[in-house]
Amino acid sequence: MNRALTYEETKMAYHALVAVLSPFAAFVINCFTKKSKSAGWVSTLAVLLGSVISVVVFSHTFNGPDIHISSIWFTIGHTEVRAGLLLNNLSVIMLLLVNLIALPVHIFSMAYMGHDQHYARYFRYLSFFCFSMLALVVADNLVLFYAFWELVGFSSYLLIGFWIKKENAIKANKKAFIMNRIGDVGLLVAILLLYNQYHTFDLQVLFGQGSLVSAHIDSSWQYIAFGGIFLAVAAKSAQFPLHTWLPDAMEGPTSVSALIHAATMVAAGIFLLGRVYPFFNTLELDFLVIIGCFTAFMAATIALTQTDLKRILAFSTISQLGFMVMAMGINAYASSMFHLVTHAFFKCLLFLVAGVVIHEMQHIKDENQLDFDPQNILHMGGLRQKMPLTFIAAIIGGLALIGLPLTSGYLSKDGILIQAFEWSDSKAGVYKIVPIMMVVTSWLTAFYIARLIFKVFFGKIRVPDILSDVKLNISDGGWQYKAPLIFLGICCIYPLFSLNPFVYEHSWLYRAFISPHNPEGINSYHTIIPLVLNIISIAVIYYAYRVYVQERKRLPFAQNSVLFNLSLNQWYFNQAYQTLFVKPIMALAGGLFWFDRHIIDGFIKLLGATTIWLSKLAAGFDRYIIDGLLHLAAAFVQYIGNFVRSFQTGKLQYYLISMLAVVVAWFIFKTLI
Amino acid sequence: MISLTHYLLVSAGLFCIGLYVVLVKRNAIQILIGIEMMLNAAILNLVAFGRFDKANNGGQLFALFAIVLAAATTAVALAIILNVYRRYKTIDPDKVDQLKD
Repeated sequence: MNRALTYEETKMAYHALVAVLSPFAAFVINCFTKKSKSAGWVSTLAVLLGSVISVVVFSHTFNGPDIHISSIWFTIGHTEVRAGLLLNNLSVIMLLLVNLIALPVHIFSMAYMGHDQHYARYFRYLSFFCFSMLALVVADNLVLFYAFWELVGFSSYLLIGFWIKKENAIKANKKAFIMNRIGDVGLLVAILLLYNQYHTFDLQVLFGQGSLVSAHIDSSWQYIAFGGIFLAVAAKSAQFPLHTWLPDAMEGPTSVSALIHAATMVAAGIFLLGRVYPFFNTLELDFLVIIGCFTAFMAATIALTQTDLKRILAFSTISQLGFMVMAMGINAYASSMFHLVTHAFFKCLLFLVAGVVIHEMQHIKDENQLDFDPQNILHMGGLRQKMPLTFIAAIIGGLALIGLPLTSGYLSKDGILIQAFEWSDSKAGVYKIVPIMMVVTSWLTAFYIARLIFKVFFGKIRVPDILSDVKLNISDGGWQYKAPLIFLGICCIYPLFSLNPFVYEHSWLYRAFISPHNPEGINSYHTIIPLVLNIISIAVIYYAYRVYVQERKRLPFAQNSVLFNLSLNQWYFNQAYQTLFVKPIMALAGGLFWFDRHIIDGFIKLLGATTIWLSKLAAGFDRYIIDGLLHLAAAFVQYIGNFVRSFQTGKLQYYLISMLAVVVAWFIFKTLI
Repeated sequence: MISLTHYLLVSAGLFCIGLYVVLVKRNAIQILIGIEMMLNAAILNLVAFGRFDKANNGGQLFALFAIVLAAATTAVALAIILNVYRRYKTIDPDKVDQLKD
């Protein structure tokens, strides 16, 4: 702590603490409500309270000085590890964002999960997740950060596998957890290295103004620590090569996907990048650019051919996270954080739309006793008339995702692209490929989201075996469905972020993160790029319209071509990981199992058999030698007894003979000696 | 001249006959007779050695006591034999074997 806090600042810190702890309180309360439907209300009210408080905290502290309170947590040797809150622009905006996303998702969940028999368990997990995530963003040191980083991963694991009887869900949550473990190990290594270099865990001391890390350590440790941080980011934010868990994580309830796997938890990786940003040197930033660019492009191509509604959105999320990572790499720190916020809103909106659609498709399926996959977009269609509000929400979300003007996505994404072009100007010619790839990715994004919306909402329903005269009883649903969609839809439009809908530099959120001495580059990029990008995007959307709605055009490539299969099979990453890592590890495990079973167990069994044999030997010795001696003694005594007894015949004269014999024997004895 | 040795020889013969009778005969009365013969052999020794105590005649006197005692024990033994007979209806010592363990 560099300076004394004012009364107002201390009050705000405690307000933030309340906002963080209120979901935890809901979690504790829900631990005691096993069956009750009140669990949803408890959690929702906790988040509502958190939201209100975080709005207050946000309005008081945003763009203000950093607030940092802490107290000693524990001491090891001479090392004092402190625990506390750090409120700066980054954490305050995240605090607000997580609460504002969590609130509609909670309301949505009350209806969406209403008929689930584990309703209370669901809200227990959800509150626990909110608590972990909120604590993660306000944690002021790396140890605390790491703890909540793990808890976020763990609660995500619980929620992906919420339907514990679903085979795929269990596989998916294991996969997510294991891949996140790789990142966790990386983060732990990085934290320990940082501590070893700088002897503190404190985030503000390490990465704040005039921080320790700004003087780069010129050693290989720097790169190892970066590798650890990168692994952590790649695992949490689903970047190549650790991205494959996120599509599978869609096995969880859709509301969970909206909150965790679209808006908040996956943003934790970007948040980590933002926290430790001063640490990176140019080479490392370039590495982030390449990874982010590649991930964004790859995920967008995969999303083109997927048929599962949620999987398309999942790949879209990976792609957008790639944008953010790349933006971090090209020094567009402010745009990256801006995109993180806008993306959270529109992706959450799209996921909730998907939730409503899936819910209604499930309804059709149950009502008509049909058998089809309610998540497959090939079976949907024509939902526009039945679900107008959902349709509008999907349009808004889709446009924001594409980044068309008047939406929030335009402000953040085009900002990233413009800065990418500016960045490539300062580099060698080969780096031009990065912004070009990102632009292509943007067009791919436009195509796949247009395909999704056209398939789901246009044409007529394509459920197999459905009778043509059947009346579909589907609608937008109750207020618990409508209110979140309306709220998030409003958050996806430009006025919330900037009064000028065309220039990203005017956005308050962008300005909050940019350093004041950053030159405001005014050049031709600022008009040409958005113009070209959006005109072609609109052309792509129109093309998709022709293909999927009017069905006049055919796709330029066959459904069985190499590229199509590459995309459909997700670039064969799952198969490659299966062959490269899973199978050898399973083989190794099998080998070790065999070793354990046959060699170790065999040795133990041999030992056991030897012991039994030895004890049998001892038993035999005991029985025949020791007992035998005793029996021999007894038999000897008995023999003597019987011998003496034989004299006691009861016949008088025998006694006399015996006496005589003894006397005679005595005399003979005397004579002889 | 009859010397002390002759007495002792007669006495030993008598003792042996008595012993033989005691060991061999299957009648309690006869065994009693054998015992008397052995006793008399002993008394004969007492009398024979009495020549060395002419002043007090201790040998003869002791012999007299022994004869009296023998009469008394014989009476007791006869009473036992009578009782045995009354109980077992026999006086064959082989048949009376309840002394065995």
